[in-house]
Amino acid sequence: MKLAKLLTVAFLTAVALFAFCFPATAASGKPIVLGCPLSTAFLYGWDAERGIKLAVEEINAAGGVDVGGQKRPFKVEVMDTRDLEPGVPVSEALLVVEKLILEKNADFIMGGPVRSEAALAAMDLLSKYKKVSIVTTGVLTPKYHARVGKNYDKYKYCFRITGEAKWMVGGEIIPCLLGIGKKFNLNRLFIMIQDVAHARAGGKIIAKIMAKKGWNVLGQEIYPTGTSDFSMGLLKARRKKAQVILIWMDMPQTSILLKQWYDLKIPALPFGSIISAAEQPGFWKATEGKGEYCLANVVNAGNAPCEATPWTMKFYNAYTKRWGIEPEGYGTSSSYMAPYVLKAAIERAGSLDPEAVIKALEQTDMMGVYGRIRFDPKTHQVIPSLYPKKGAVGTIFQWQAGKRVVVFPKSIAMGEIKLPPWMMK
Amino acid sequence: MAEQRRKERIDRGIKVRADSIYALMSLKEISYLTLPRLILIVGFLLLPILMPSAYWQRVISITCIYALLALSFDFLAHYVGLVSLGGAFFIGVGAYIAAVGNTSLGLPIYLTIPLATLGGGLICTLLLLPCLPLRGVYFAIVTLMYPLAMARIIEALDIFGGTDGIMGVASFPVWWIEQYFVILALLGFLFGMRRLVNEDIGLVFRAVKDNDQAVRASGINITYYKALAVFIASAMGCLGGACLTHIYMWAGISQFALDFSILPIAATVIGGGGTLAGPVLGCLILVPISELLRAFGTLRIVFYAAVLMGFVVFRSEGLMVYGERKYHQFERWVKV
Amino acid sequence: MDILVYGIINSISLALVALGFALVYGISRLPNFAHGALYVVAGFLTWSLARAAGINYLLSMLCAMLLTGIMGAMIYRFLLIRVRGMAISEIIASYAMGLAILEGLRWWGFKGMTYTLPPFVEGSIMVLGVPVDYHRLLVVVIGAGVVLVLWLFTHQSRIGLALRGMAQDERAALMLGIDSDFMALLAMGFGSMLAALSAVLLLPLGNIVVEEGYNILILAIAVCIVGGLGSWMGAVLAAFLIGFAQIITVVYLGSHFQMVVAILAIIITLILKPSGLFGKQKELEERV
Repeated sequence: MKLAKLLTVAFLTAVALFAFCFPATAASGKPIVLGCPLSTAFLYGWDAERGIKLAVEEINAAGGVDVGGQKRPFKVEVMDTRDLEPGVPVSEALLVVEKLILEKNADFIMGGPVRSEAALAAMDLLSKYKKVSIVTTGVLTPKYHARVGKNYDKYKYCFRITGEAKWMVGGEIIPCLLGIGKKFNLNRLFIMIQDVAHARAGGKIIAKIMAKKGWNVLGQEIYPTGTSDFSMGLLKARRKKAQVILIWMDMPQTSILLKQWYDLKIPALPFGSIISAAEQPGFWKATEGKGEYCLANVVNAGNAPCEATPWTMKFYNAYTKRWGIEPEGYGTSSSYMAPYVLKAAIERAGSLDPEAVIKALEQTDMMGVYGRIRFDPKTHQVIPSLYPKKGAVGTIFQWQAGKRVVVFPKSIAMGEIKLPPWMMK
Repeated sequence: MAEQRRKERIDRGIKVRADSIYALMSLKEISYLTLPRLILIVGFLLLPILMPSAYWQRVISITCIYALLALSFDFLAHYVGLVSLGGAFFIGVGAYIAAVGNTSLGLPIYLTIPLATLGGGLICTLLLLPCLPLRGVYFAIVTLMYPLAMARIIEALDIFGGTDGIMGVASFPVWWIEQYFVILALLGFLFGMRRLVNEDIGLVFRAVKDNDQAVRASGINITYYKALAVFIASAMGCLGGACLTHIYMWAGISQFALDFSILPIAATVIGGGGTLAGPVLGCLILVPISELLRAFGTLRIVFYAAVLMGFVVFRSEGLMVYGERKYHQFERWVKV
Repeated sequence: MDILVYGIINSISLALVALGFALVYGISRLPNFAHGALYVVAGFLTWSLARAAGINYLLSMLCAMLLTGIMGAMIYRFLLIRVRGMAISEIIASYAMGLAILEGLRWWGFKGMTYTLPPFVEGSIMVLGVPVDYHRLLVVVIGAGVVLVLWLFTHQSRIGLALRGMAQDERAALMLGIDSDFMALLAMGFGSMLAALSAVLLLPLGNIVVEEGYNILILAIAVCIVGGLGSWMGAVLAAFLIGFAQIITVVYLGSHFQMVVAILAIIITLILKPSGLFGKQKELEERV
């Protein structure tokens, strides 16, 4: 009896899932399968899933992709890799990539895997099966595009359309910090980062560069994934009279950190290079406003409202209408762009042949949601810039009065950075 | 007075006829004894060829690696009395040794695998040596903690590639070597262990499980035998880890993940503990079904946990034990 | 000075988390590996009642505690009672239950970082020259209160004495007419309620995520092992030891060693003295 009930639930769930997976095809022809290995139970998985699905729905409704004269629709195959879960080995993610390629006959891989470890390991798989892949969320490590550059012939199949840590640090975080320093006359920095490769590397570089620029780097605290107590770090920051706290963590416990910062009224500005808890629109309500004045970096513009290009707000509103919530996380706008970029490349190449599509992708030059989208021909990394007309623009926003206000880069800023009132004394 | 009946369970006729040398009487008796084993061996050898796609062939390789782990768990738990919840530790150590051997020392694949198996077994045994005197729940918890500790230590000290892991490890040169190496290793170890537990040393192991004080009283050094058992079991696990590394061309701290500890235990529970072939059967059931259910996303884990719970509570003897019983004996109602 | 204050806060938090586990093991020798899952379930139940259904916060907390307690008792009555006495089967069965609950919650939709509970009081105060927020102070006060109440309950009330009797010697208790199964049921219920209590106290400090369940289980096991499986006071003392060890590690060694400290504590304790600090010294039962 119990088994029968369980099976019925399972069957109905399968039917429901199937129904959702069927895209609205206004185009005929064999569908082009986009395999998406994503960690769908996590923010950096479902942000990509929703971005990709939205784009695919729009493309299919407009007729699909023109492959050498024939119009074909995109088909999205999302598979849960669970790779952002702490207890799950990366081999699960790799198995999912293989399943998508070998069983679901994915023509292209899009979105993930999300965890840097898994993405790096998947590069060898992609080169083995000769499948073009565009990473659109997660994977902040600069090692990804460095590997492509070092061994172009082997890894040329791997593209990344989302920002990465090296540019984030050098091109966005450092100038933003310097700007804050000049504006409010601050120069004391305290660093709190998570014990993962990209955070550690980023934190080290930031400490070195800020020290060279004359800032006082008061200390660096590294927290293993899963830490739930940051009291000592915050107290140290307070004692040493830190004025800016740099935070680089993508674990959910960041909300503990921010809540405690607010309650203890630490007189320092929380500057999040990556601070995942603060990236969701629901953050304000969840913390009863204690997250105010926190800055967060969402890597690609379009994840918070701004007017980088005419397409930005069009995307923002379309997403909000389709999913009932504003874009969250940092993979949304980049995942939305990826199908469009791929569509353009396929139409330029006239076929699905990987070599042709690779050459066509390298020639990409379109005004997307977050600026001008171009790939570096040697490393296949999207070319970043501080100006939407020149390249892909990142975004740093600050929570002000319940809204996410973009404050950097200046070219797309919608507001000014504010200091918490207890710092102004 | 109403007729009373009881259920009687007796050996099948053919089992009695196939006892010891009388098995050679005719083909029927011989096949009764050898057919199950032949089916197992032939079945495993045919699997990569029968699989519809390269993805399923990969699943078979993963199943064999998990089966090696399950075999080592069953051996330790039911033949030596050491319940080890830390299969992930063996996989991780084997994986890292193979990866470091291949990338830093430049050893080719046919050297790294034996190095990982033997060297890994040695290292695991040395690290577990202080814990060997522990019993029961305590040993279980300590072994559960070892892979977690290793993962955190590698993360904190940032050695061996830290959280990124070691990439670019060589893969198997030819497809059929990749497939059959693991299968042959599994079959070799399966039948080897079954033989081992019936040898003299196997008797000592089983005695340690039953009553270690008695063994000690006989003047035998228990710690030595436990260490030997752990060496054998960890060598199996490390072999699995090395194969995993070479299949995926990468090693990282996620190979100390809890999943590698839990699945062998589930496979043993479902397949039947104590029979050594049961855990292999359990893996053969669990891993493909787990892959088939991937479409359900997270619900698949709930299913899996529910099945495990059901088996532990209701059918804790496992499929293999049940199957063996049915194969050798039959039941009938008799008048009292 | 901040080491003292925050050490106490950290220790009481650990003690709260571990007490439920220690209680269940101490009374009926059941390792309840679903402890972490019950913790998270209590959090989500409170959230659902308080935020989604809009019921009064205190009332939802009490309801969640009660429901979690009932859930724990049901787990015992329908699942663990059948494997009572077989240690490894108990571990596997309760772990599988915990896994099913946690992943079930995730499948149901409890994902992301926006599930939070409001703290009881806002603001902060200076204690001995160290700023502490009110909620953490409340945690310390309530935690100490819980330990006191538990001590009184098990030493003064009839049921409490019966539970202690079970823990000391099951056979003797049975001879005195104390029903072992019913006591185990009560123990699971109380243990789960304690898990729920620690959840509603500690979760407002951050947010509720499913991964927390796994972390909590490791911490509870760590504290109970170091303190000695079966001894409640041992668990409290071990919580203080590990809590202070973690804080001191953060201040003097480096914050990235704090997780290693907890796990190494378990391993070292088990190697040197498996019965922990206050566990009953059953020498032959624990090592050869």
